[in-house]
Amino acid sequence: MARFRGHHDGVEHDRRQIVAFGGGGFSMESGNPLLDDYVLGLCEPPRPRVCFLPTASGDADHYVVRFYRAFPADRCEASHVSLFRREQGPGDLRAHLLSQDLIYVGGGSVLSLLGVWRAHGIDRILADAWRAGVILCGLSAGSLCWFAEAVTGFHGSPRRVEGLGLLPFSNCVHYERRGGRRSAYHEFLRAGMCPGYAAEDGAALHFAGTELHRVVASRSSARGYRVDALGERVVEMQVATAYLGDSAGTVSPLPEAVSTVLAA
Amino acid sequence: MGGNGHGPGSWGASGPMREILVLGGHAFGPRPHDRVVAETLVKMAVRRAARSGAARRPGAARVCLLATASGDPAEQAADFHNALAEQECEASDVSLFRLGRRRIALRDHLLRQDLVYVGGGSMVNLLAIWKAHGVPEILRAAWKRGVVLAGQSAGGMCWFERGITRSWGAPASAAGLGFLPGSLCVHYRGEPERRAAYLAAVGRGMLGGYALDDHAGLVWQGESMLRALSFRQGARAFRVQVRGGEVVETPLAARPVRGELPSLLGEDVAELRRVRRARARAGALRPGR
Repeated sequence: MARFRGHHDGVEHDRRQIVAFGGGGFSMESGNPLLDDYVLGLCEPPRPRVCFLPTASGDADHYVVRFYRAFPADRCEASHVSLFRREQGPGDLRAHLLSQDLIYVGGGSVLSLLGVWRAHGIDRILADAWRAGVILCGLSAGSLCWFAEAVTGFHGSPRRVEGLGLLPFSNCVHYERRGGRRSAYHEFLRAGMCPGYAAEDGAALHFAGTELHRVVASRSSARGYRVDALGERVVEMQVATAYLGDSAGTVSPLPEAVSTVLAA
Repeated sequence: MGGNGHGPGSWGASGPMREILVLGGHAFGPRPHDRVVAETLVKMAVRRAARSGAARRPGAARVCLLATASGDPAEQAADFHNALAEQECEASDVSLFRLGRRRIALRDHLLRQDLVYVGGGSMVNLLAIWKAHGVPEILRAAWKRGVVLAGQSAGGMCWFERGITRSWGAPASAAGLGFLPGSLCVHYRGEPERRAAYLAAVGRGMLGGYALDDHAGLVWQGESMLRALSFRQGARAFRVQVRGGEVVETPLAARPVRGELPSLLGEDVAELRRVRRARARAGALRPGR
C-alpha cells in the first residue's frame, strides 16, 4: 500500500495521523525495527524530525539513550523533551513540537503521563500538532493517551482512564488471550465504555483522521481488533493486519468473517 | 517524656501531633552536613514510632522515599538507601512510575510509615502525578495520623499553598498541597534568580512565607512553624512577608544541628553497623547470645 500522506491539490485535506502500537518498537522489540521503520516511512522528508516524549517513564535516562540508538542521526533528526528537566530543554516547547514530522511517545504510566502533560499544556500542543499534520505515535501508555478512554493495567488491576480524546474510541494495548486486560476491557465495554480498538504486542493501529486506516504488525501473528458491546454481549472482530516483515505486504486473510461474539 | 512535648501530651484534642520538616536543599551523601540531615530525619521517625506506641523493636522506625518529582530515578533511591543504611530504621521507596513492576498497596504502605520523605525535582510534575494517583488524600490522612512528612526542594515546597519552582524553566510560582499556610522558596541564596522571583511574586500579592538556603530547614507542628534548623555553617532561614507595602526578608534564629560524632569515628561506626547488619541478615550473628 502506498504511503498515506496529505494531498497538495489546493483542497484542505485531513492530514491528521496517529499510529497506536499495542506494544513494540525499540522499547519492546529489540532487534525488530519494523514498527519504528513504518512510522519513519510515513514521514515525507528523507531525514525527518522525530521527537521522543519519555514522560510516562519519568524521563528515564536509559529509555532516552535507547531512543537515540534506535533513531540514529543518519536516518532522522532526533530530539527528546524532558518535562522533568524543563530548565535544560528547548525553551519554546510549542514551537519545538509543532516543527516535528513525528512525535513518538514512550510507555510507562499513562496516569502520570496525562497528569504531567496537562500541567505543562502539552495536551493542547499535541492536539494542535496533530491537526497540523505532525504524525503522532507511541506504544502502550503512548497509545492509550490518544483515545477518549483507555484501559490501563499498569497500576495493578486494570482500570478505566480518560485520555486526550483525539480519537473518539476506547483503546486497550498488550491485548493477549490470557491477560486480565482483555476481560477487564470487555467488562468496561459492557458497563458503557465507548467502542474501540485493541492491539496485541507487535500490532499497530494506523488512524487517518479519526478513521482506522490500516493495521500493521511487526510479528506475523500479531493482530488488531475492533471491540464493541451489544448490550451484555461483547463483539470482538479481528481486523485484517498487514505483516511488515513480508516484502509482498501480505495482509492476513481474515476479513470480517472472523468476528467473534463473546458470551456475557 | 512528658515535659518535652513528645509524650502523651502531644496527643492534642484533635489527635496525634502532626509534624512536617521542610528543607531548602540537601543530598543523601557522605558530606557531614548531608549526613546530619539524614540522621535528623531518622531521629524524627524514631520519635514518632515511640509516640505512636506501636510495639516495635527498636530501630524499626519506617521511613519511605517518594521520588516522584524527579521521575523516580534509580540513583536517587540508591543514594537514599545508602544514606539510611547506616541508620537504625527500615527504609523503603515507592516509585509511582514502577508500580507496574513493583506492586504495592500504596495507601497501606504510606500509612504504616513513621516518616514519608519527598525528594526534589519538578514541583509541577510532582503535584500533577500525585493528583493522578490520589496521593494527596493519602498524605493528608498520614499527616493526621501523625506520620511525619518531610522533603527537600520541590519536596519541601509541596506542603505549602505555593512555592517558587523551575518546573517550567524560569522560576515561577506554583500551587502546592496547602497543608501548610503561605509559601516557601528553596535554594534561596544559592539561586539568585529564584530569590528574585519569590520577592517579586510576594510583592505582587502572592502569599508570603519562608525562604530556606540549602541545608536549612523548618519544623512545623500542625499549621504552626515551630523552629528553624541549620545543618551547615551559614545555612539560613528567612521569613518573607509584606510589611508597610514592602517585601521584607527577615533572617530567623536557627538551631544549629551538627553531627554527634566526629566524622572519622562516624565512618567507623557506620562501617561497624553495616557489617553487623549484613551478618544479622545472613544469620551469622545472633545478638544477645
